[in-house]
Amino acid sequence: MKNLYKKELNYYLNNPIGYIIVVLFAVFANFLFVKDIFIVGSASLRPFFSILPWLFLVFIPALSMRTLSEEKRVNSIEILLTLPVSETQVVLAKFLALLTIVSFGLVLTIGLSLSLSFITKVHLLEIIIGYLGSFFLAAFCLSLSMFFSAQTKNQVAAFLLSALTFFFLLVLGTDFTANVLPRSIHDFLIYFSPFNHLDSFIKGVIDFRSVFYFVSFSLMFLFLTVVDLEKRG
Amino acid sequence: MISLSSVSKKFKQKIAVDNITFKAKAGEIIGFLGPNGAGKTTTMRLILGYLAPSKGKISIDDLNPIDNRIDVLRKIGYLPENNPLYQEMKVSEYLQFIAAVKNVDNFAETASQVGLNEVLHSKIEELSRGYKQRVGLAAALLGKPSILILDEPTSGLDPLEQEKIRNLIKKMAGKTIIFSTHILSEVEDVANRLIIIDKGKIVFDGKKTKGKGSVEKLFKKLVKS
Repeated sequence: MKNLYKKELNYYLNNPIGYIIVVLFAVFANFLFVKDIFIVGSASLRPFFSILPWLFLVFIPALSMRTLSEEKRVNSIEILLTLPVSETQVVLAKFLALLTIVSFGLVLTIGLSLSLSFITKVHLLEIIIGYLGSFFLAAFCLSLSMFFSAQTKNQVAAFLLSALTFFFLLVLGTDFTANVLPRSIHDFLIYFSPFNHLDSFIKGVIDFRSVFYFVSFSLMFLFLTVVDLEKRG
Repeated sequence: MISLSSVSKKFKQKIAVDNITFKAKAGEIIGFLGPNGAGKTTTMRLILGYLAPSKGKISIDDLNPIDNRIDVLRKIGYLPENNPLYQEMKVSEYLQFIAAVKNVDNFAETASQVGLNEVLHSKIEELSRGYKQRVGLAAALLGKPSILILDEPTSGLDPLEQEKIRNLIKKMAGKTIIFSTHILSEVEDVANRLIIIDKGKIVFDGKKTKGKGSVEKLFKKLVKS
């Protein structure tokens, strides 16, 4: 699996598209936080972590849309699946390579907490837990995007399907749905929103129900991706 | 040894392979001939365990390719139809990657064997079709597999390149080789056994020299229909 992981990672490192997406992500993330920092008057990274899901909504599907759809379109998937490797290894290698690239993007935003520490006292543990939650969220979004990338040979369709599904899940955790839906339905649906589960991390609390949510849903989408590859004909 | 016994493959309502039975002994070179859509590629994918049969039994050295997919794939080198490659990679990077996945280190030797030394540091997308085919062939040869499955290895090549690929296949004598083609003369040149498949059924299986005239007639009739 190490060799598959290296090949996937090298694709993004040797290709401008990987850098473009990661740098754009970092620029937008930094800008959206900094533009309001003096207006809000609060020196905390909470607003930054709250913005992240909306950025992931665009950048993660953009990064991962080709990962399996392109392999299927040009049929290079046949090369991979006729090598002595399992479908699980192929999916995990691709997932881990993408997670590494997204982690680079997150690392590029660490400057925010550094600059914040010059103007005020920062709660380091709260920031670390916020990043941990963002990492879990990225893994969740990547696994979902990979699943949709495996469903189609068209990269744009893969992008739209994963972005729209992630958007729908995010909206479940917003005030909008709380106002529109009956309370009992909203209380049930909100469990499925990654926003709801990211919230505790943003507050500096590791809630194991949320860890379970992110890990189990990520594994479920990865498993479904493996099942899709196993189906073939 | 490769053994297929009453193997069928159905895709929804379409029968791609219909109750075929044959054995390939060690060292045999089998030319797999048939018109487009006859079931050649599906049969090859079934042997590899890439597709599961709807009916029948397949074994590769007594291993079932579905239950022992990885063990079976260690024994087989495969050149897929249309030779899909990672175009953005350099030839050396691609062969190194395949060698690493197969856990072997003879990539330089194999590259030299198929005449890739002068393009090792070129990107695959910049290569001619003939060189790309050699890259695919080198990838199939990595790990010194005892079985080679080559799906239309000369398809789309000019006559000179076709000749070069045929010579490379001839040099691999000793391995069990199954290669598919549309060209009867190619089989006569390279293979020592011919299997003709049409509409998923085997319509001829024999030595290339046996009844050559009738084989030619049969094949022409299939291509025309």
